[in-house]
Amino acid sequence: MKNSFIYLILILGSVVFVYPFIWMLSASLSPESAISNLVLFPTSPSLNNYSQVLDKIPAARSLINSLFVSLVITVGVIIFGSMVGYALSHLEFKGKKVLFFIIIFTMTLPFQLTLIPQYILMVKFRWVDTYLALIVPYFLNGLSIIMFNQYFKSIPVDLIDAARIDGCSEFSILFRILWPNSLPAIVTVGIITFMSSWNEVLWPIIVIRDEHLMTMPQLITLFAVGGRAESQLGVKLAAAAMLAFPVIVAYAFFQKYFIQSMASSGMKE
Amino acid sequence: MKIYPLIVLTVVSCCLLSCSDQSKNDRKHIIYWASNNTDEITFAGKIVDQWNNGNTGSKVTFQPVPEGQSSEEVILAAVVGNTTPDIYSNMWQGDAELYARAGKLVPLDTLPGFMKFISARCDSNVIKEVTSIDGHIYQIPWKINPIMLICNDNMFKSIGWQTPPKTYSEFLKAAAEIKHTAYLNGYLNKWIGYSEVIETWWQRLFDFYPLYLAASGGASLIKDNKVVFNNEYAIGTFQFMKTLYDNGYFPRERLSARQDAFLSSDIAIRFTGPWEIVHADKFKPPGFEYSFSPLPVPDNHKNAAYTYGDTKNIIMFTTCKNKLAAWEFIKSIISEKGDYQLLKITNQLPRRKDLTSNPLFINYLNDNPKMRPFAEQSKYVRGPDICPVLKEIFDAISREYEACVIYGKKTPQQAVNDAAKSAEIILLQ
Amino acid sequence: MKKSIKITPYFMIAPYIIHFLVFITFPVLFSFFLMFNQWNIISPMKFVGLQNFYKLIHDAQFFRSLLNTLIFLVIHIPLQIIVALFFATMLNQKIRFIGFFRAAYFLPVVVSGVVITILWQQLYGYETGLLNRILTGIGIAKIGWLINPNIAMGSIAIMATWKNVGLYIVLFLAGLQTVPQYLYESADLEGANAWQKFRYITLPMINPTMFMVVILSTIGGFSLFIEPYVMTGGGPLNSTLSSVLYIYKEGFFYYHMGYASTLGFFFAGIILLVIFFQKRYVEKETR
Repeated sequence: MKNSFIYLILILGSVVFVYPFIWMLSASLSPESAISNLVLFPTSPSLNNYSQVLDKIPAARSLINSLFVSLVITVGVIIFGSMVGYALSHLEFKGKKVLFFIIIFTMTLPFQLTLIPQYILMVKFRWVDTYLALIVPYFLNGLSIIMFNQYFKSIPVDLIDAARIDGCSEFSILFRILWPNSLPAIVTVGIITFMSSWNEVLWPIIVIRDEHLMTMPQLITLFAVGGRAESQLGVKLAAAAMLAFPVIVAYAFFQKYFIQSMASSGMKE
Repeated sequence: MKIYPLIVLTVVSCCLLSCSDQSKNDRKHIIYWASNNTDEITFAGKIVDQWNNGNTGSKVTFQPVPEGQSSEEVILAAVVGNTTPDIYSNMWQGDAELYARAGKLVPLDTLPGFMKFISARCDSNVIKEVTSIDGHIYQIPWKINPIMLICNDNMFKSIGWQTPPKTYSEFLKAAAEIKHTAYLNGYLNKWIGYSEVIETWWQRLFDFYPLYLAASGGASLIKDNKVVFNNEYAIGTFQFMKTLYDNGYFPRERLSARQDAFLSSDIAIRFTGPWEIVHADKFKPPGFEYSFSPLPVPDNHKNAAYTYGDTKNIIMFTTCKNKLAAWEFIKSIISEKGDYQLLKITNQLPRRKDLTSNPLFINYLNDNPKMRPFAEQSKYVRGPDICPVLKEIFDAISREYEACVIYGKKTPQQAVNDAAKSAEIILLQ
Repeated sequence: MKKSIKITPYFMIAPYIIHFLVFITFPVLFSFFLMFNQWNIISPMKFVGLQNFYKLIHDAQFFRSLLNTLIFLVIHIPLQIIVALFFATMLNQKIRFIGFFRAAYFLPVVVSGVVITILWQQLYGYETGLLNRILTGIGIAKIGWLINPNIAMGSIAIMATWKNVGLYIVLFLAGLQTVPQYLYESADLEGANAWQKFRYITLPMINPTMFMVVILSTIGGFSLFIEPYVMTGGGPLNSTLSSVLYIYKEGFFYYHMGYASTLGFFFAGIILLVIFFQKRYVEKETR
């Protein structure tokens, strides 16, 4: 009895968290007039709204932009984050404490402070409306360094010393020994970085004005807020559904990794 | 050490990919930015082709303004980022002053033949309207989209009105009758009209400002850097709109977040412009009939009802390397032939004084009777005042509008007064 | 051999140091400098001394945005803790399909905020939104979720809870699962009731997670942008004007770079202060 009650609550909860997405999908497949009466499934499904979206905005292009930008950032963060993480965990150099302090400082610094000047930098560098503006400011971050540092500490020092004796340079040690043994950390940092850069909207809105360079969340946002959708609800929802689709697909296959990564990033706070 | 080349490669490929085609900034090439409205793109393409085919000198390439939240934002970003074109044809009249003051625009009246050409095309009121505070002219009046009422003829006929209401009282009366017939299923699903209930400053260009112009016979908000809108017309407009919201004649919710309320006969009128014709004809349900009517005016109003014209003008940036050739190209855009093509392709009115007298245009109006009310309205159109902080002032007015008209927290007198005070502070900065 | 070991670490941290100097140090210093100027990027900078500070202190919109953030946090944080704990507790019972439920609750966390915002804008519609249709269907009056100035921020808080609670359910669950069973059993033997068990056994174990909810949600509350930007534009009556939205408007609608920097500086300072006090408070509590 108690158990069925619990199951009921949990199922109701699932409905609350999942149904709105189903509704969104159904509405995006329905003609405009049918939406107000929609409950679960569209009565006469059609892809009309989707073709309208593709007509009006370069959605496919923005998907590629997002993929490209997020991928490059993720690769950069993993490379540079692991470099500094390695230096902090296994190498000796002056100013380690200062560096640590700097890293923590950047992580706690609210972005409200640096938003305007960073934009002005982009203007002065002539990076506005280029991929550089989207990528370079995010190429390194403190969280990845902390995570790599922590993970690398658990790697036995003997392994590293042995490699040094063999004559490996520190960089080879990092990439040939540490990386293969740190896959969980790499996956975690990778997913967190990829997701957060994928979902970032404020910065692209500020530095990118050309439609062909916009990231997907940015393009869909401006589409939903601006007048291009001609006040058609179904079209807006179709655009939103298109944006949600890639992530939901990835999530369907890799839920475990998503959940684990994002949860552990929280634990580091 | 294999990683460093990879990093360099990544960075280099970023740079290469980010190099969007750098505009050919040689003297022979003129870059023209058109609005990204589909019809205007077609028009721009035609005009540019005609020019390039007929001209062995400077070639013109055009591109639509990149899409952003508003093209005004996009232009500002281009100015800031130094990526401006030579000619831009969708400059909102209220924006140009800011750029002119910063020295980014060419004072066109210094170009040979300009004044003669412009006086032949536009009447003196219009020329005065676009003259900057320093006496120079930085923008050429190009096109207007007068704001009028689009009316659902069936809805009005169903409550016994053969013609749409013309005065405030008539309007309120019709509104009450529509509300009366609207209670269904316990919730209000029909209203006389709707205007966007957002506080963003430019929304007022489509409700408050046109009504103010109609009531005041085209008066300014700001003149010679002084606030002149603290008057009975502004207060009257606020009062009228407030009455509409207080009585539930206009809904407070954001109807734009769902399907088109006008075409689904949920609202009887909307403040809109000629662009609506194509949209309405495309999406209207069978049997749906609509017409256009001037804005409602106060009961004791005499003379014509003015309105706001969403004036868009042509400007030339100082980065242009070949100003004389650019001016020649602009002339082709606003020649009689160019204006006629604009009208035919985009259904937007060129700002010419002979719009209703020139046989070329009369032909067009005969073919497109729905445009006739707009053409007739074009004599009574005003654009925004020349003031570099106009947007901030509209923002202040908009906030007072929201507080008074939509949420009833202030009386119209208070609201307009507070707006005037805020505007004075803004003008001082 | 020894020499290369000494230099390499510096090579390794060099990119980070350069990045830090260019993208953090310079902006912070420049931001500080901008506060004393008026600048719209296209015209030359104008030194105005303390005028921006004077304007800030008299700026109703600035204080309103702070109030809005407070309203958001006061609703969002308790709601999130209660809902997350509730579901985590449910999931902590001996039930099957935990993976399925967890995945369902976590779904909104991974989906982009833009999608969520567009979706909820429809749910919150006054006449035709799903929520109000359900309400009128069961005979309750419609609620002006996004058009009532007293409720709008709360509506956003509810949406934010819906989006993020999955993460905290997972975290609370992990915390709950670390509580050794024998503690509950011995408490049962001593005759403790459910509330006492919760207060003295469960709560201390999940305290770190609670703390994290509070800090992350606070930062999130001050970072709200896309939600008001898409759903309400900051209205109605400025009730959803968030700090970031205000900076954005000042900086990128009007290009008041000096004033926007001043706002950024003060908001950043306030955030740091709030988090500092939250940390102190929690540290006191756990002693």
